[in-house]
Amino acid sequence: MTVETHDLVKRFGGFAALEGVTLQARPGEFLALLGPSGSGKTTLLRIMAGLDFPDSGRVTFDGVDMSDRPARERGIGFVFQHYALFRHMSVADNIAFGLTVRPRRDRPAASAIAARVKELLDLVQLPDLGKRYPAQLSGGQRQRVALARALAVEPRVLLLDEPFGALDAKVRKDLRRWLRAVHDASHVTSVFVTHDQEEALDLADRVVVMNKGRIEQVDTPDAVYNRPATAFVCDFLGNANRFECALRGGGVEIGGLTLPNAAPPAGDGRGQAFVRPHEFDIAAAGQPGIAATLRRVAHTGALAALECEVEGRIVEATSARPPEGLTPGDALTLVPTTVRAYPA
Amino acid sequence: MTTGWPKYLLITLALAFLGANIALPLAAVFVEAFAKGWDAYVEGIIEPDALAAVRLTLLVAAIAVPFNIVFGLAASWAITKFDFRGKAVLITMIDLPFSVSPVVSGLIYVLLFGLQGWFGESLRDAGVQIIFAVPGIVLATVFVTFPFVARELIPLMQEQGRDEEEAARSLGAGGWTVFRRVTLPNIKWGLLYGVLLCNARAMGEFGAVSVVSGHIRGLTNTMPLHVEILYNEYNFVAAFAVASLLAGLALVTLLVKSLLEWRFADTIAGSGH
Repeated sequence: MTVETHDLVKRFGGFAALEGVTLQARPGEFLALLGPSGSGKTTLLRIMAGLDFPDSGRVTFDGVDMSDRPARERGIGFVFQHYALFRHMSVADNIAFGLTVRPRRDRPAASAIAARVKELLDLVQLPDLGKRYPAQLSGGQRQRVALARALAVEPRVLLLDEPFGALDAKVRKDLRRWLRAVHDASHVTSVFVTHDQEEALDLADRVVVMNKGRIEQVDTPDAVYNRPATAFVCDFLGNANRFECALRGGGVEIGGLTLPNAAPPAGDGRGQAFVRPHEFDIAAAGQPGIAATLRRVAHTGALAALECEVEGRIVEATSARPPEGLTPGDALTLVPTTVRAYPA
Repeated sequence: MTTGWPKYLLITLALAFLGANIALPLAAVFVEAFAKGWDAYVEGIIEPDALAAVRLTLLVAAIAVPFNIVFGLAASWAITKFDFRGKAVLITMIDLPFSVSPVVSGLIYVLLFGLQGWFGESLRDAGVQIIFAVPGIVLATVFVTFPFVARELIPLMQEQGRDEEEAARSLGAGGWTVFRRVTLPNIKWGLLYGVLLCNARAMGEFGAVSVVSGHIRGLTNTMPLHVEILYNEYNFVAAFAVASLLAGLALVTLLVKSLLEWRFADTIAGSGH
């Protein structure tokens, strides 16, 4: 199903959570809403769900206006960061809830509900835990149950609010691979919120990067990472180092060098340039490039991480083959290989 | 602070204080009540005016407690699950009966509905009597016991958050279903606890009821008022006999409350927080 929002605006008191958000999630797509806290991503998700309502703008499902419909009439599945399992119900009763609250004429028979619950317990790989209570489960198990509960009603769209946010790193990685597999098997349009760029890039078909209630860029993980549309996206993804620079004739003037701009073309003038840690060559002091002082070297496996100081600021560079014999305090030159620059 | 005499000194002080101020007076109630034997005790209770007072007290509690259950549930539901203007004002209003002297609470109703009060004349013309009659006693009791249920539920519901209700709504449940199947089961022990406290206060209230009752024997006397009248008439055995019923109610309340706390702590520990 296609989920669309049209020019959504939402304010909480004086705080503008959304300032005109237009977005489309395509049928069967796995869409990530990525942004720092306060960027409006959770508000956007809750408005899609009907748990919050916009001050203006519309939400449509397959072209049908849903703006005034409450959550219960939208046919959605919603997964909460803190699971929101019904604490006084067994796992099986939690999963069956969405089916048992249907009006009598639409409600499946008890045996059909039990069969569906069993099927879902198998799907989330917890076949023997139906009689347990949420408090008796680990975080990862609870989130699986929450997902099974949301899928039980065969939602037209699955909305997930930081679904892995409360889990530890190992469980988080396992669970997201598994979630992707569940999605690929069910083909239900899914939208999930995250502040973790790695998670978004790893999991999503397309990533929506949000900042201060606006969409900065919507594109594939590859495109938002390699062709960031705005300075914010470039800065937010990939731990880029930022430099002052000048933009002239399509080139970027930085540290005495003129380099091609890997970002979308911009007019002449002052700019800010971003260079990711792995996009530096390390050269001897006095060479053309950015003069730096080495502060620390850390050899982390295949790559060496160099912490350098440039004009009083810290710059991170990684190199597979750093010059040998470098010690803290040495002067060196950082030569950017790829630069993305945006008007300041 | 785990060893040594300060610990035992503090425990002894606390026990001495409790003994002198609570256990001793409680014992005195029963000793006095049975001072002239079992027969005198029973006589004090089955005397018609005493029975009327018991009946009236039960009646008042039977009206005030359900009213405040409904009000308390509605208020805590609104305050904890929704955002609206004036929420802080509503919370303050709920606390008002706690901060106002019960005598003042009673006087408010006399000023409103008494013969010289704002609505006094129109009520008299309509033939409705509120002050010095049962309706006044019920009103005053409802006012005084107003906060108990809500005060018990608001922190509990706040701590539980809105996630479960939102999850239920997203799964297609309507408002009543959400309340019956999600909210109510989560708060049932807290609710019972609040009802118990509310009931104890409704039956034991003296100040506010005293002002609006008029102390008409057999008609507008609740148990606490009846105790006072008997005592002022130097009828100590009967006074303490009726008082022993109230004391018994307090003890039962305390017992059930402890059982609930035990049970309640259990459910909270099981909720994963």
